Amino acid sequence: MTGDQWTARLSDYVDGELAAAERDALERHLAGCPDCEQALADLRRVTMRARALADRPPERDLWPDIAARIGVGGVAPARARPLRWRRPFAVTMSQLAAAAGVLLMVGAGAMWLVVGPRGQPAGATGQPAAVAPGPSVGPAPAGAHQFAGSVAYAGAVADFQRVLDANRSRLDTSTVRVIEQSLRTIDRAIARAQAALAADPSDAYLNAHLAETMRWKLELMQRAVVLATRAS
Amino acid sequence: MDEPSAGAGLLSQTVPDDAVDVTLAASGDAHAFERLYRSHAARIHSLARRMTGPEHADELTQDVFVRAWEKLGSFRGEAAFGTWLHRLAINLILSRRSRLGVERSRFSEAEGVLEQQRATPARPELAIDLESAIARLPEGARQVFVLHDVEGYRHEEIGELMGIAAGTSKAQLHRARMLLRTHLEPRAPEGRLQ
Repeated sequence: MTGDQWTARLSDYVDGELAAAERDALERHLAGCPDCEQALADLRRVTMRARALADRPPERDLWPDIAARIGVGGVAPARARPLRWRRPFAVTMSQLAAAAGVLLMVGAGAMWLVVGPRGQPAGATGQPAAVAPGPSVGPAPAGAHQFAGSVAYAGAVADFQRVLDANRSRLDTSTVRVIEQSLRTIDRAIARAQAALAADPSDAYLNAHLAETMRWKLELMQRAVVLATRAS
Repeated sequence: MDEPSAGAGLLSQTVPDDAVDVTLAASGDAHAFERLYRSHAARIHSLARRMTGPEHADELTQDVFVRAWEKLGSFRGEAAFGTWLHRLAINLILSRRSRLGVERSRFSEAEGVLEQQRATPARPELAIDLESAIARLPEGARQVFVLHDVEGYRHEEIGELMGIAAGTSKAQLHRARMLLRTHLEPRAPEGRLQ
């Protein structure tokens, strides 16, 4: 085999794709061929640097153009104002009015205040609650871990779960799978936050994470309920 | 200001925002979709830039996210959202090859430049960074190099994505590496790339 032919095998050698016999033969050649040895070192350097390339964001914000193209132009930063719905099943005021209220309040030392006729079917579809899109979690809600285990929060979750269970058959299986997977993920996150907070209940960062994760759960459940009842 | 605790670090690594935002976005929540965009824009834009060149990256990135918004309903959650989005981006980018092909003369020209420089003794002043060197590769070699060495796809997968034989993918990869090897900065001291 000529030197050029050996060179052509170097990439396969770097990638570990040569058969044992060919690999042994190439290694014997490398021992006496400084050019191939140098080429091999260079190829390894190229592959190492390729793996180390860092991603870089676009130089300009592309979101406004994307938002315009998908018909949600002018969307404010997340949670800065009520969520918009792009599809015809937008939640109507009557639907929301029929629902019991779960009001998310965030403020100094905030907790979520849950109000409403827990345990009582609300409206024809039995929607239990609506989570009002509130402001972002600002100051860390110290004590969120205590609220996570509170009757009020558990009641709100239970209400949503009851309606979801009653309407599960109205959702397609893939939607149910995504929702359940997401809820399991959120529950794991809540459990981890609670475990971490047990060691340091005053940790502001963990409290903020826990509050945000709890809110995700309520928001997700609310939307799942809307999807399920819309399908009725 | 409060310093995140060790527990906070653990939490930030274990709370996958995507699962929630994907579900919200699939139900039409544009805010959730914007969060997904902000989480994944750098990765998708870098992929588009390396695969097609900087002049197309913005447009392709927008196209990818518009397509993702349209197809979120078909996302089954069997893979991570990032994986699904990445595959969608690659398919879209590769499908544009024919349209971008009108500009291939530029690639041929670039290939000539690289080949010419390869014959020139390497000098520090000629060294260019890897991103720039990738952009100057011939189209096929560049795409295979990005998919294999940057993105970690196997030759069989690349062959399937690009509609070429695995052997062709290997040959293009070797060609790309050989072209790139002489256009990097002088060898860095040991440990610098660690």
